[in-house]
Amino acid sequence: MATASPAPSGPQPSLTFTRPVFAKLSPHPYLLRTLSPDSPDQQPTRNNGRAPHQSRPIQINTSSLSQAHGSSLVRTGDTTVICGVRGELLPVTAIPQFRPHNGTLYDQDEGDEARARKELKDYDLLVPNIELATGCAPQFLPGVPPTTLAQTVSTRVFSLLHGAGVVDGRGLRVWFTPESKKEAGDMEVEGEEEREEQKPQVVAYWVLYIDLLFVSFDGNPFDAAWAAVLAALKDTKLPMARWDPDREMVICRKGQDTRLNVRGLPVACSAAVFLEKEHGEVGRGERNRHWILLDPDRSEEELCKEVVTVVVDCSDGGETRVRSIEKQGGTVIGRELIRGFVGVAEGRWREVKEAMGN
Amino acid sequence: MADRRRINGPPGATMAPVFEDDAGQPEIKNGKGRDRAPNVIRKTFLKTGVTPSASGSAYLEFEGSSKSGVSGLKLSCTVHGPRSLPRSSPFSPHIVLSAHVKYAPFATKQRRGYLRDPSERDLGTHLETALRGAIIADRWPKSGVDIIISIIEGDQDRETSKSQGDETWDMMNVLSGCITVASAALADAGIDCVDTVAGGVAALVQDAGEDSTPRIVVDPIPSDHEKVLGACCVAYLPTRDEVTNLWFKGDLPAADAGLYTQLVENGIQASRTANRVLVECLGEATS
Repeated sequence: MATASPAPSGPQPSLTFTRPVFAKLSPHPYLLRTLSPDSPDQQPTRNNGRAPHQSRPIQINTSSLSQAHGSSLVRTGDTTVICGVRGELLPVTAIPQFRPHNGTLYDQDEGDEARARKELKDYDLLVPNIELATGCAPQFLPGVPPTTLAQTVSTRVFSLLHGAGVVDGRGLRVWFTPESKKEAGDMEVEGEEEREEQKPQVVAYWVLYIDLLFVSFDGNPFDAAWAAVLAALKDTKLPMARWDPDREMVICRKGQDTRLNVRGLPVACSAAVFLEKEHGEVGRGERNRHWILLDPDRSEEELCKEVVTVVVDCSDGGETRVRSIEKQGGTVIGRELIRGFVGVAEGRWREVKEAMGN
Repeated sequence: MADRRRINGPPGATMAPVFEDDAGQPEIKNGKGRDRAPNVIRKTFLKTGVTPSASGSAYLEFEGSSKSGVSGLKLSCTVHGPRSLPRSSPFSPHIVLSAHVKYAPFATKQRRGYLRDPSERDLGTHLETALRGAIIADRWPKSGVDIIISIIEGDQDRETSKSQGDETWDMMNVLSGCITVASAALADAGIDCVDTVAGGVAALVQDAGEDSTPRIVVDPIPSDHEKVLGACCVAYLPTRDEVTNLWFKGDLPAADAGLYTQLVENGIQASRTANRVLVECLGEATS
């Protein structure tokens, strides 16, 4: 270590610190120095060695868990998150506000799609939850209720799942076509009603429990969590389910799994804004310089207040669609910057698409 | 009152899917039984340093059974500390251990909730006892260390759909994995221990077939056997030849005291094998 090496001759400063020690002691000035190098031919870098607009490479593995219906493991730098999707059945009798709809099994029109989307939301069929209290970072220890961050990320994933319409709700319905009972005496009397009954009806829904577990946490939880959710949903295969009228319950069959229909590939891309003056104490006529740090890690997140997240989807014929823009904590990012940032997000989209391998 | 800090899903109760072949007929244990020799444990993968922000961490994976659908055990462990105790806590002349074991919601056949259930607390207590014997606790007065284990995947047979009371036996395997992985994480965190402690399980099992007599195997997978009569999980320090925790469950004839000792002996044997993996892993990490 540098502290314990006395110089052979002459008085030397007795105390020298290594770079990580400085970064820990006074993180803000240290990051400021590395971002604004003295000579112009030096590239500004962050503490972690990345350029400001460089994100961490992403790795995605799927189907590694056998108990869940779909699963994924996403690793970006030192952030590792595991996602497991598990389907459970919800009979319509257990839904208090259930309204039978008059669609049929073979409806493929737009109206049915919209209806399915409404069902997803009304009946609460998607249940994402994020668990941070796994000791994934020193501030997240178990035994306490979910932290604000865990609640926020859960809610953001929840609203983006519904907002972006990723899951096709039609795949979550379980249909049943009642058989006509051929009983001799009642044939004529109830003939009219029986034809009515033979229409297929929805008897149950699949509820998708989407559970995310952070194994290791190093900043930018939302991007990693969202990528994990998406990869796990794409990996999800639900067993074939049918209604058994005798036992009055839904029975599944093994070996006939259908893949969940997941539309689009929205990818989240976050960045934090690092200010020269930490608390914004700028004099008159002075400008507070700022840097936009893509994919911030844990130490950078602590120094930055303003965060922007853009969710883009370029899978629709090369045309970029912005699914969501979220920004909080400051005033630096305006219209122009967000427009430019969408371009950065497109680059991230291509990286994630490649990592997903489809 | 539902937990408002989590997303709870629909108010009505949801059911795990029920498959048609479990209807009524007795459960048939499919496939062949155990394909390892009775004194061989499953292949183990152990790696330290999976969570860089923690003081120490480790990941452990047991190989799944050769039968399809049986998952191996996957555990992730983080250690935070030693750090100072909060001001409110009373003086302690030695390090205060707290062990926390939690199943992930997707780890087992039945979806687990986010709140710890009694079996998880039980595992935590046993783990704490096992580690307390290994740590040199007097070196850190007034400090505490947190050991947190997430069970990413428990080993359970996915194909046998009915629960056969296997959970109680599964807990033994889980505990032995927890002990080994926690020991690796403690070493990774640089907390002084007298020795590396590792867990081992031995069980008295009865195989399918009329004329099979009960036999002792190490590291059992309950679904491989017709019936598990008794099992014991041992946490063992090899160089000191000490057992720090012994957990025995089951129904053994009291007349045969030798059987009981034999079971413990086999547990120690399994623990020795696990310890070799542990030492090799730590050696790789330091070199």
